Amino acid sequence: MRKILLTAIVMGCVFAPSLQAEDVRVSASLNKRLAQVGEEVRLSIRVTGQSMNLQAPRLSQLDGFETYYTGRASHISVVNGVSSANVEFSYTLIPRRTGRFTLNPIEVQVGQNILKTEPLEIEVSGGAQGQMSGPQSMPQRVATQPSRPSPVAQPVSQDQSSAVPPGTDDNIFVQAWVDRTTLYQNEQMLLTYSLYTRYDTRYEGFDKEPETSGFWIEEFPMDRDVPRETVRMNGKRYVKADVKKLALFPTAPGNYTIQPGSLKVSIREEQQGSNAFDEFFSDSFFTGGAFFARRQNRLLTPPPIQLVVKPLPEKGKPASFQGAVGSFRLSATIDKDKVKQNEPVTLKMVIEGEGNIETITRPKVPALTGFKTYDADTNSKLFQTENVIGGTKSFEVVFIPKEEGNSFVPPLEFSFFDPRQEKYVTLKTPNFPIQVEHSDQNFQMPQELAGNAIFQKQVKSEGKDIRYIDEKLPKAFSTHAVDLIYTILLWGDLVLFVLLVVFWMKDRQDRLFSKDQALRRRKTARRTASINMNKLKKLARSSDDKDTTVFFADLEKAMIQYIADKWNLSAYGVTRQDLAETLTTHFGADSALLKDVLALYRLCDEFRFGKGSIPQASKKIGLKIFQDAVNRIERIRQ
Amino acid sequence: MKRFVCFLLITLWLVPVVCAGAETAVIFQEANTSYRTGDHAKAAELYESLIEREPRVATFYYDLANAYVRLGKLSRAILNYEKALRLDPRNGDIRENLRYTRGLLEYRVEDTRNWYLKATEVVLKYATEREVYAVLLAVLFIFLAGGIFYFLNGRGVFWNPWQQFIFIVLLLAALVAFGKEVQSNVIRDAIVMQKECEARYGPSEHDQVAFRMGEGIKVFVMDRREDWSRVLLTNGESGWVKDSDIAEVKG
Repeated sequence: MRKILLTAIVMGCVFAPSLQAEDVRVSASLNKRLAQVGEEVRLSIRVTGQSMNLQAPRLSQLDGFETYYTGRASHISVVNGVSSANVEFSYTLIPRRTGRFTLNPIEVQVGQNILKTEPLEIEVSGGAQGQMSGPQSMPQRVATQPSRPSPVAQPVSQDQSSAVPPGTDDNIFVQAWVDRTTLYQNEQMLLTYSLYTRYDTRYEGFDKEPETSGFWIEEFPMDRDVPRETVRMNGKRYVKADVKKLALFPTAPGNYTIQPGSLKVSIREEQQGSNAFDEFFSDSFFTGGAFFARRQNRLLTPPPIQLVVKPLPEKGKPASFQGAVGSFRLSATIDKDKVKQNEPVTLKMVIEGEGNIETITRPKVPALTGFKTYDADTNSKLFQTENVIGGTKSFEVVFIPKEEGNSFVPPLEFSFFDPRQEKYVTLKTPNFPIQVEHSDQNFQMPQELAGNAIFQKQVKSEGKDIRYIDEKLPKAFSTHAVDLIYTILLWGDLVLFVLLVVFWMKDRQDRLFSKDQALRRRKTARRTASINMNKLKKLARSSDDKDTTVFFADLEKAMIQYIADKWNLSAYGVTRQDLAETLTTHFGADSALLKDVLALYRLCDEFRFGKGSIPQASKKIGLKIFQDAVNRIERIRQ
Repeated sequence: MKRFVCFLLITLWLVPVVCAGAETAVIFQEANTSYRTGDHAKAAELYESLIEREPRVATFYYDLANAYVRLGKLSRAILNYEKALRLDPRNGDIRENLRYTRGLLEYRVEDTRNWYLKATEVVLKYATEREVYAVLLAVLFIFLAGGIFYFLNGRGVFWNPWQQFIFIVLLLAALVAFGKEVQSNVIRDAIVMQKECEARYGPSEHDQVAFRMGEGIKVFVMDRREDWSRVLLTNGESGWVKDSDIAEVKG
């Protein structure tokens, strides 16, 4: 049966304020996707982006897994003026059950934004659960962050536990305590959670995260076999274990109250009596050996802690001090002591010691006349020992000598405040002599360092004034181009508008005529008559007999066609009698129009039968009668 | 013969144009030289004469304004920068010098208008009236051409999605053109030309003084009454000032 377990992982990261979330990428990977129960799986969370300071993220408890924070490694490099940082946080996961598990995207807070990794899948097959071989020096159990939404959904729990209100049982309680209540700014303070119990108890992680705003936090490794001891309090014997340790670095002076949050534990329901002490921190404590047992959840809330953070003393503060607090050592090397002019020499400084190593910045490089100076790589590595956070941080600075001769890579100063001695300590790199040989090669910036000079001057405004006059006479075309385009478009639009109106009217008329042929003939009758009139006028001007014959024949046809068009009569089968009746119907038998039309027909007949006896003037008379008839009918029709 | 007549006509038309252009170039060079050598008064005079000849060249207004800055006549400088900006609204030099010159003024008016009014003003000031209208006409041209294509093609639907889209663009262009028209011709901006100018509650000397302002302040003319203009400031204050105290940018 396939089981899908969705387990919650939440990471809390604190970034430098200037960090841009869009420049940061977060990814997660597992070193294997198939594992056996009890086999170590390495989870790496890699954060890459521009130079940044990150606190170790804390994963929430993964049901079905034990999780251990195993450390971090960071690398900062500067290429072509752009610094990039790569921080990798490592965790060890030890599966405790078989099945296929999906680790939903891990959320990483970058400034105000939340970035997510890709989801990860892992399949756990059966193994010798009782003979698991966990890491011999488990560094740290990861705390829960229940205040955030769990990115990994959990399947139906097989744990039949039920919550019990806290504070009602003096057989189990937790104490949160610090190793000092007065400390300096950026000095390490240890916050320890000690669990006292008389039950068979399993620590489940934070139910409510401690409120530690104003502090830089690093978590401490916790051995898998948590040291335990039997103590007697108020007449009762308890088993005591330090289940959680955090290193806090206050970022500013002042009075602080730390709310330690709530721890979640589960206890077996059966009373174990004194035997419970023997089982305390047995497999059931971390390994889930009693996973299927009936258990009760308990929330344990220790009281708040008051702290006073003192400012660092101003007296004796060296100029090179940049905020480092702790105890450090400085070592430095150069890669060569004999170079040519304009050839780079790399100075590598390593700062090592106890303190907040991640916040240490590169020692200031003094302004040098004989050198060009460039930033190169920065690396840091953090480690936790016993109750102290420390690490190493290395910086590389490239010096390029400009002049030949014997010279020195100047000493660089690193200062820190030692809270134990309550005084500032200044360390210096040695004064490295170098021999610079003559070279005719001109200075050329190493490509990997281009634009990364430490002492390049910033371009800044020296004063304010108006910008200079424009001495170029603008081209006439450019001045009037818009006017020209505007004018062309204006006239173009006018033409298009007129055309559109014409097309629209014609389209409308065509639609009307297609529906009503009588209307079309009536409306076009005058235009047809005009066309015929023009033809007739041409024929009338000719004295040729043939043209005269055609003239009178066309004149009669034109008259018939006009009247037929006007009253929708057939132009081919219509007779004079039909026309006369139509005109009589509309204008009366005595109308002058009818008489004129009949006179026109007589004139045509006279020519047809008289064969040329008609004088030239009769053509004009015929034309006039036709024109008058058309005009009269048009006026009447209107 | 015909060719000769054509040549003669073209020559007669071109000669004055070319001569005028050459003369303008000579005066312009002389003005620039005067400016360069520090004779800003003469440079200003020459630039003024160039503006009389060619009133639609932004460069002349800009150079004239620069000369006025050098002469300490800030109100005239601002007026001419504003005029130059109307003709060449995307010129960074004009904007920068105008901003700089405003920084030299004795008075400053806070702009308390709503953000959308400011944004609208900035957007509309990014183009000249002609450019806005040309865009409107271009969109209209496409719309009309689409209509004619429909009638010539004889098929399809006139109110198709393409025409609908063009129509929406046309409406937007018309809206922008309307805004530009309002900005250019309805809300008339003017510059205070007097060293000290009193704005009163009414259009007469008898009315009480509402506020005082100095030269170079930009105002919007809302109303006219004989020799008085009612002006509005960007901080919402309004009052009546004498016409002689202000000069309209478009005038």
